[in-house]
Amino acid sequence: MIRTVTIRSAAGLHARAAATVAAAAAGAGIPITVRRTGRPAVPADCPLALLTLAATPGTELTVEADGDDAALDRVAALLADPDADRG
Amino acid sequence: MRPARPVLEPRAVRTAEFAADRIAAIHRCADVLEEIGAVHPAYRQAMLARERMMSTYLGAGVAVPHCLDRSRVLVKRDALAVLRLPGGVDWDGRRVTLCVAIAARGDGHIEMLAALAEILLDPCRARRLREATDPADIAAMLCAAGELR
Repeated sequence: MIRTVTIRSAAGLHARAAATVAAAAAGAGIPITVRRTGRPAVPADCPLALLTLAATPGTELTVEADGDDAALDRVAALLADPDADRG
Repeated sequence: MRPARPVLEPRAVRTAEFAADRIAAIHRCADVLEEIGAVHPAYRQAMLARERMMSTYLGAGVAVPHCLDRSRVLVKRDALAVLRLPGGVDWDGRRVTLCVAIAARGDGHIEMLAALAEILLDPCRARRLREATDPADIAAMLCAAGELR
């Protein structure tokens, strides 16, 4: 399964957002990967790997997993969260 | 257009710092960012607030103290401060020997974080960064990898 998301948070995919996404992906129980067009896919459960995507606002990412739509949807929703930078 | 002055100035690199705990380490980061004129004095509290919300531990012994998005008005100009803590500091259960404090107004720090993350995912480069004792070497490693825009 694949989901396509656009980063909407004004601060981009920053450190705290990456940690939140990675924690959700780690709890999914299945491998989930995130890819930025033209680059290798990275594991969604690794905050450092997510940060290497350098995803600024407007960046499109594809999220991929074998099965478990619900887990994939959760990770995709966190990546697309426009309020990921709010306190 | 890039600012005329580099994001990481050698005087913002401190290679022999000591801090009793992570709060003290963040105060030292704030001291340096203030000294170089990059932030308003209130940025100190903004960094502490961000740290209380979630640890800024990044990986491989490196933490990246910074502020929440809403406090970015306290940043006068984009800058980094690098503090090496040879004795190590407990960072919410992780051991930190290098702080890369970030002051950024826009989203340019995302590129810098990506560059830093690339270094930290490579154990050899991560060790070289943590163990570097020459401010120029540290600045070169981080600036070669990427810089704030």
